[in-house]
Amino acid sequence: MHTGIHGELLKIEHLSFSYEKGQQVLNDVNFMAHDKESIGIIGANGIGKSTLMKLLVGLYLNYDGVLEVAGHQVNKKNLNHIREHIGYVFQDSEAQLFLSTIEDDVAFGPRNYGLSEEEVEKRVTEALEKVHILELRKKQTYKLSGGEKKLAAIATILAMEPDIIIMDEPSIALDPRNRKNLITILNEISSLKLITSHDLDFIMDTCERTVLLDEGRIIADGATKEILSDRELLEGHGLELPLRLQ
Amino acid sequence: MNRLHPLGKLLVCVFYIVTVASFHKYALSQLILMAVYPVFGFIVGELSLKEGLYRMRLILPLVVFVGIFNPFLDRNVLQYSFGIPITGGMVSMVTLMLKGFYSVLAAYILIATTSIDEICYALRLIHVPRVMVIVIMLIYRYFGLMGNEANRIATAYKLRAPSQNGIHYKAWGTLVGQWLLRSIDRAEMVYESMLLRGFKGDYVIPRRKVKPVSMIYPIAWILIFIVIRSGLINIF
Repeated sequence: MHTGIHGELLKIEHLSFSYEKGQQVLNDVNFMAHDKESIGIIGANGIGKSTLMKLLVGLYLNYDGVLEVAGHQVNKKNLNHIREHIGYVFQDSEAQLFLSTIEDDVAFGPRNYGLSEEEVEKRVTEALEKVHILELRKKQTYKLSGGEKKLAAIATILAMEPDIIIMDEPSIALDPRNRKNLITILNEISSLKLITSHDLDFIMDTCERTVLLDEGRIIADGATKEILSDRELLEGHGLELPLRLQ
Repeated sequence: MNRLHPLGKLLVCVFYIVTVASFHKYALSQLILMAVYPVFGFIVGELSLKEGLYRMRLILPLVVFVGIFNPFLDRNVLQYSFGIPITGGMVSMVTLMLKGFYSVLAAYILIATTSIDEICYALRLIHVPRVMVIVIMLIYRYFGLMGNEANRIATAYKLRAPSQNGIHYKAWGTLVGQWLLRSIDRAEMVYESMLLRGFKGDYVIPRRKVKPVSMIYPIAWILIFIVIRSGLINIF
């Protein structure tokens, strides 16, 4: 739920995490994020981007260090508070949509937070309008195209009006038109956004700040234009310049 | 029929099945009258009988198989029809088949005219334990997931083994293992998605207003079932 919290929304200090002993996925990560920022998290496959995102929403709790979302330490006790502030758009939209129709799915979150039916209806309409699929509200989720599923998945999160939106590879499997549409939609959303992607052109279009991860550490954190135009830096960590800069 | 309150439809379905099951094994003539509900359901619900039978193709043979040995076990002649002896076993076999067939049709009518969310809402209204209702809902979701995964695996297999007729028996073990593991992964993702949107172990389903027709509907049908069951109407 949108709380109107301003300033520091995410605080990560000396964060380390491993799935199994001896296999460190994240190692001493330090990171701050503020309201209305749009941050791209980039890095090669398997370097811990998705793990970091899942830690933020409390899907893994056995980490070391400090992890705070909207002023709440991420732990079992605070999970409900944290999840009211943060929305997670999965890489696989099909996993995100599990109810019969789009409107039911979008209403799932607001209903769980005990909002009145009038408020739920308002949230559903607004969220679907924001992603330009209001006319699909009665459509069965299994009949949607890949692009529509992605937009519907984003709407399920927008309806919760979170302070922070996390998106895992949002541009994956989208055709150029849907990709462009998604860029426009993301740029219209004012919440803090964390976007993980290998599509560096997409990151250029949506994020003003970029964080480069490798071997479980933050290698670079700065302006997107600077990081994504640094060929040596990118190639040294398994990435390449965005297509438009090649 | 889709607009009726789900509780009324659920009650009619349950009462119908209980009534049908309660008929005596020789009460064939009364049981035939009970066809009135499936006929009504298919007509008013605008359901296609052909499609319904197709969807129930897996369960109907089982229903028909029930009681198939009765003619050999019960040879007591009840009456002669055109000189042919009609035994108790023959009548009870047809009765059992009809009972099964009617029950499946009634369940189909309920499912075809009511969403799973509404059925679960109705179950909660009659105080079926929360845990049971959640399990029903999750099973429904995960059946879909498992079906999709099975379809993906079978397609991937067929595309790389075009000359084979079906899946080779040696591949079944691996494929089934993969299918279960992938289904579990997907189910976990769905569950995580639910948790991240505030799911705390209970589905919140909006309350539905009860219109007069939704009250008349179950009352009328339950009365009809009682009248038929009591034997007040006998066409034969």
